[in-house]
Amino acid sequence: MSTRDDEIRRVVAELDAHMAAVEASVAALKALLADDEAPGQEDPS
Amino acid sequence: MRALADVTGETLRSWRESKGWDVPRMARELRKAARDTGEDVAAHHGLVKMIPQWERGGRAPRERYRLLYLKVFEDMAGGMAAGADLVMRLAEIRSHAASLPAPDEIRTLEAAALAKPRKTMTPAEIRARAAEAIIHLREVAAKIAELSALLGDDAVGEAES
Repeated sequence: MSTRDDEIRRVVAELDAHMAAVEASVAALKALLADDEAPGQEDPS
Repeated sequence: MRALADVTGETLRSWRESKGWDVPRMARELRKAARDTGEDVAAHHGLVKMIPQWERGGRAPRERYRLLYLKVFEDMAGGMAAGADLVMRLAEIRSHAASLPAPDEIRTLEAAALAKPRKTMTPAEIRARAAEAIIHLREVAAKIAELSALLGDDAVGEAES
């Protein structure tokens, strides 16, 4: 593997980490909104 | 193996020349690799005729010869396989990055989450979460630009506007 390949793999690994971080934050926000809907659906009163 | 199926005649020639081998030497190396695995291959003079044809691209080597090339040039073919893996990985990244929400969508989620009091997250935490997502999204765009520069083309494509 060349230095360039190593560099590409490093950037790819960083990209993966940033994309995972975006998804984690978005999932947390979406979970909050999902909590709004769930009680209404489950509460018969 | 799949990577070798994509090898051009020009690549076969460059592999041979990188070793400093002439065609008769290449033929001997193929026959030696065949002997090591007990395979039956063409006679030396037959290979000496076929190798230039393969290298010119006039004929493609049959599977057993492709496998022998793989054996002889294991180090170079291994590099190609790694390269093919990388290309697939980059395609995955492109697709993954394109599926991420845009900053506007994150702001919309943030506004919806802030619209009503929460027990599990304070407004400050909600804002921090949204800001964090947008920061990482910008990093994704920056890293994709870095990757494109490393590749010297636009193979990764545009992920974020």
